[in-house]
Amino acid sequence: MSLTEITVTDPAESVQRPPAEVRFAAELARLRAADTAARPPGWALSVQAARRFVVGDPALGVSRKFVGDPSLIDRALITLATSRGLMLVGEPGTAKSLLSELIAAAVSGDSTLTIQGGAATTEDQIRYSWNYALLVAEGPSTRSLVPAPLLRGMAEGRTVRFEEITRCPLEVQDCLLSPLSDRVLAIPELTGPESMVFARDGFNIIATANTRDRGVNDMSSALKRRFNFETVFPIADFDTELTLVADEAARLLARSGVTAEPRRDVLEVLVTTFRELRSGETARGDSMDRLSAVMSTAEAVSVAHAVGLRGWFLRGEPGNAEDIVACLAGTAAKDNADDLAKLRRYLAQQITWRDGDQWRALHQARHLLPG
Amino acid sequence: MPVTFIGVRHHSPACARLVASTIDTLRPAYVLVEGPADVNGRIGELLLGHDLPIAVFSSYRDDERRLASWAPFCEYSPEWAALTHGRAAGAELRFIDLPAWHPAFAGRSNRYADAELRYADVMERLCRAFEVDNVDALWDHLFEIAPEEGLAERLATYFDLVRGEAAAGESDTTREAYMASWVSAAAAAAGDRHVVVVTGGFHRPALVRALAGSDGGNWPGIPEMPDGALGGSFLVPYSFRRLDAFDGYQSGMPSPAYYQELWERGPDGAARHLVEAVAGRLREKHQPVSTADLIAARATAEGLATVRGHHRPGRTDVLDGLASALVKEAIDVPLPWARRGTLEAGSHPVVVEMVAALSGNRVGRLHPGTPAPPLVHNFDAELERAGLAGAEALELDLTRPADRDRSTVLHRVRLLGVPGFQRDSGPTTGLDPVLREHWTLRPGPDRLTAVIEAGAYGATLADACAAVLGERAAQAGRDVDALAVVLFDAALSGTHDISDRALADIEGAVGGAGDLGPLGRMLTVVLTMWRHDGLFGTARSATLATVIAAAVRRILWLAEGVRGGNSPADAGRIGAMAACRDGLRHAGRALGLDREAAVETAGRISTDREAPPDLRGAAFGFCWALHDEPSTVDPLRGVRGAFVPGSAGDWLAGLFAVAREEVLHSPDVIGLLDELLSGLSADDFLISLPALRQAFEFFPPRERETIAGQVLTRRGLSGSGRALLRTAGPDPAIVAAGMRLDDRVDAILRREALILGTPPDAAPTTDAALATHAAGSAAGAGAAAGPPSGAATAHALIGDVP
Repeated sequence: MSLTEITVTDPAESVQRPPAEVRFAAELARLRAADTAARPPGWALSVQAARRFVVGDPALGVSRKFVGDPSLIDRALITLATSRGLMLVGEPGTAKSLLSELIAAAVSGDSTLTIQGGAATTEDQIRYSWNYALLVAEGPSTRSLVPAPLLRGMAEGRTVRFEEITRCPLEVQDCLLSPLSDRVLAIPELTGPESMVFARDGFNIIATANTRDRGVNDMSSALKRRFNFETVFPIADFDTELTLVADEAARLLARSGVTAEPRRDVLEVLVTTFRELRSGETARGDSMDRLSAVMSTAEAVSVAHAVGLRGWFLRGEPGNAEDIVACLAGTAAKDNADDLAKLRRYLAQQITWRDGDQWRALHQARHLLPG
Repeated sequence: MPVTFIGVRHHSPACARLVASTIDTLRPAYVLVEGPADVNGRIGELLLGHDLPIAVFSSYRDDERRLASWAPFCEYSPEWAALTHGRAAGAELRFIDLPAWHPAFAGRSNRYADAELRYADVMERLCRAFEVDNVDALWDHLFEIAPEEGLAERLATYFDLVRGEAAAGESDTTREAYMASWVSAAAAAAGDRHVVVVTGGFHRPALVRALAGSDGGNWPGIPEMPDGALGGSFLVPYSFRRLDAFDGYQSGMPSPAYYQELWERGPDGAARHLVEAVAGRLREKHQPVSTADLIAARATAEGLATVRGHHRPGRTDVLDGLASALVKEAIDVPLPWARRGTLEAGSHPVVVEMVAALSGNRVGRLHPGTPAPPLVHNFDAELERAGLAGAEALELDLTRPADRDRSTVLHRVRLLGVPGFQRDSGPTTGLDPVLREHWTLRPGPDRLTAVIEAGAYGATLADACAAVLGERAAQAGRDVDALAVVLFDAALSGTHDISDRALADIEGAVGGAGDLGPLGRMLTVVLTMWRHDGLFGTARSATLATVIAAAVRRILWLAEGVRGGNSPADAGRIGAMAACRDGLRHAGRALGLDREAAVETAGRISTDREAPPDLRGAAFGFCWALHDEPSTVDPLRGVRGAFVPGSAGDWLAGLFAVAREEVLHSPDVIGLLDELLSGLSADDFLISLPALRQAFEFFPPRERETIAGQVLTRRGLSGSGRALLRTAGPDPAIVAAGMRLDDRVDAILRREALILGTPPDAAPTTDAALATHAAGSAAGAGAAAGPPSGAATAHALIGDVP
């Protein structure tokens, strides 16, 4: 079967994870149809409609896609509407990338102009590069130019996403300076009017950065000035997080062929443990050392999944506190002896004062930690 | 009988405007206000012409409970507008709520807290429906910056909705029944003239229903205080800072400075003032705030207002705009106006300034003609009673009850910040045996002002002092040393039972403490006070018991987290382990502390390779000292296992500090130590000597003597340990010269092949000297003498023994 024989009938069916504008195409269409407010120049939706796309609108059948303070979404959208770059910062696993994808899909109708930052990212991958065969044959021209996401975003007036910007070297990050402040990108190899690409309405940049990477490649203050920073926090409300973890874990378990529902009290213990190790503060108010491992909601979901799998395939029942301890060692401690020690200390000393069978079981199971 | 009910949110400028205009239009016969009915006879005092904010302060005390409660008023309070405009319209003014001491107010210190917050579910759903962060943002959105048309209807709808779903609690029902009786009496008395009722919006639906079902009635009586109870209500000056400081169920509208501006100048003026105040504060602190930033902040605020459907930028719009423009990095704590409650530790400095600008620092002042708050009278009476009224210089003997009482009074006055009461000397911690105090008293004109201001804290010196200490405990945060001072001040001032909230603050501070040293010092002091302080009456005090339990838990927690490889011994953390041992030993049973878990923890620490040696030693000693069956602890194995030349001294320092008694009564361990020390090479001994000396210093001289005696006995030598220890040894310079001479002689003998192989081991007598030298010279800690390595010097040491 040659490559050309593959016909894509419905992208949402055959693609592992279609982009947001495909996943939520129907919602976007409904929002567009009902959108009467004025749109900022170059935007696919009004600010109000874009906001509803993210925080949800039951009346229009738009789902709530981001659990967090609605004011964060307001600020993010207004930042973009006032033509400043938007920088989403926060701990890993706080749904920064999802948020940037959703906003790009709402604002531009397209979330695919994405630059993935990394140690090996070069300016070519951000701005433009050349088709070298054509370059040698014809010299520099618009035909031999290969635009990268930034150039395309500026020329087409769309939102460009820059993931993990602080993982790029500082000098590479700084190529965003003039596109952000002067809204123009120079292509010195070309001559005439084509040597300057002026950004069209609708162009803007949403960058994400991880606070754990702070100091790896810190941003220059010149670049910081051109961005508005929004910190995305882990879910503040216990019940919201518990519900999210329970729903997601149940979905994953069902897909893995587990028919036993996860136990609510076990999940409560699991989510509490994650929240306390993440925040470095117990429910009683004692402060502790945070783990260096990422204790995000996403990790909690994967541990809840693993706990359910263990319980079901080892014993044919829902997971219990013992499974939590066994799975925590893999997630929380990974290969870090320091984290393992912190976890052991937590299980030994910070559990005893709590009431509840599952807490007692968790305390009893503390010896299952390896090492 | 037309009765107009205005349901308000306390401290809401929009509601205040509505109340004012309603009263001005209707010119009612009666204006009924939610407020303490026992003050009705003295409403005139409220309208003397004070600088706001002020508060009606109510105190109450009987055998079972005591209470301090405030009903604060500021210029934009709807209740205040009702009083002032009602008076101007010639209406009769009445407070119609139960007095603050009534059981319906149990546990409430702020009369004008938001009642609806006690019914959080409804509020949460409303916030979700309006897609706002919290109740305050919702309130601004619906009322403060919304157009004024239809405000009354909107308020009524809002509160009907809030109330409609919630079944009111018993205390609210009681209060509403009482308020309703006033309303129906006023309606009957007014005839066909108007009555305006201003109450918290949450109560309005119930009052409306109650009036519909009533048929008039007499004026209700004012509940009398139970027999034997003391208390009353008085006017006191108040401040924006305190108005903003209520938290949780006690809270009302935050950000008084902003709402004051909103009241005076409207939304645009308030927004402008907020930006100016924040920029001004930041620039004063040399934080960069550029014009471009301010433009961006303004643009963002306007944009946010549009998106959120505000016709003018509101509080959160301006704040969000400023935060977007001025905060140029990730923040560690969510923006405080997104979540309710007080400012959290770790907030971004720009955010801290923004919150300070919102809160403001206005302080109220009473009209000079106002009757003085009860504290002023109590202050004079207490000074008179203690015979301190005319005193200037005092020397107090704390063992005499009369002097002890006077000291208590003076300390209470000092803690209230009244100038002219200075203590020149006296006990400073719970441990020093100082029993005399010297005071200098200087009367001055500021004295009265300070006492009037302190009057807001309580009606008597004792109550006010307890409130001040509670506030200081909250301010101490996680500073354990500051907390220890607060606790000792509490002892000095005879304040034995502080409020639950202060106790929770103290527990929180101990639970959050990060350093073992201060925690150990505090625990030592507190434990001493708890065990046997008859002088200050703190023995077995419940407050201290809570602190002890929290500190013991925290020390064990922190100790297990110390990582330090081979760092030298730290007296602070060793002391903390010893204090923790004492806590468990002397208070463990009384306070229900889990000794078994503590021993288990210490067991883990003692075998943790990452833990520093002194802590491992201390943890080992902890197990030994506290184990239910000490015989299961094998000290010989433990000592042998931990004896590494480089860290032996540090390890022993920990062991001796925590398990001194156990070591002393275990000849086997002393024998083993002697053996191990003897096995050290001269170089290793030199390295470990300073730490060894530090370790043996934990034994007082008499016990060192016992050890020396045991060493002598073990070696079969006669003589007394005391004499051995008294041997100062020769001058270090001579020892050094002797060592050099020894080395040279050895070298020459070896060169000439007169002796063979490696240098011979020191004779056994030398080793005995080494061990006892370590023990003995601890008395002169820090002495620079090197160890005697040659046989000759060792003999010199032992030779002195008769």
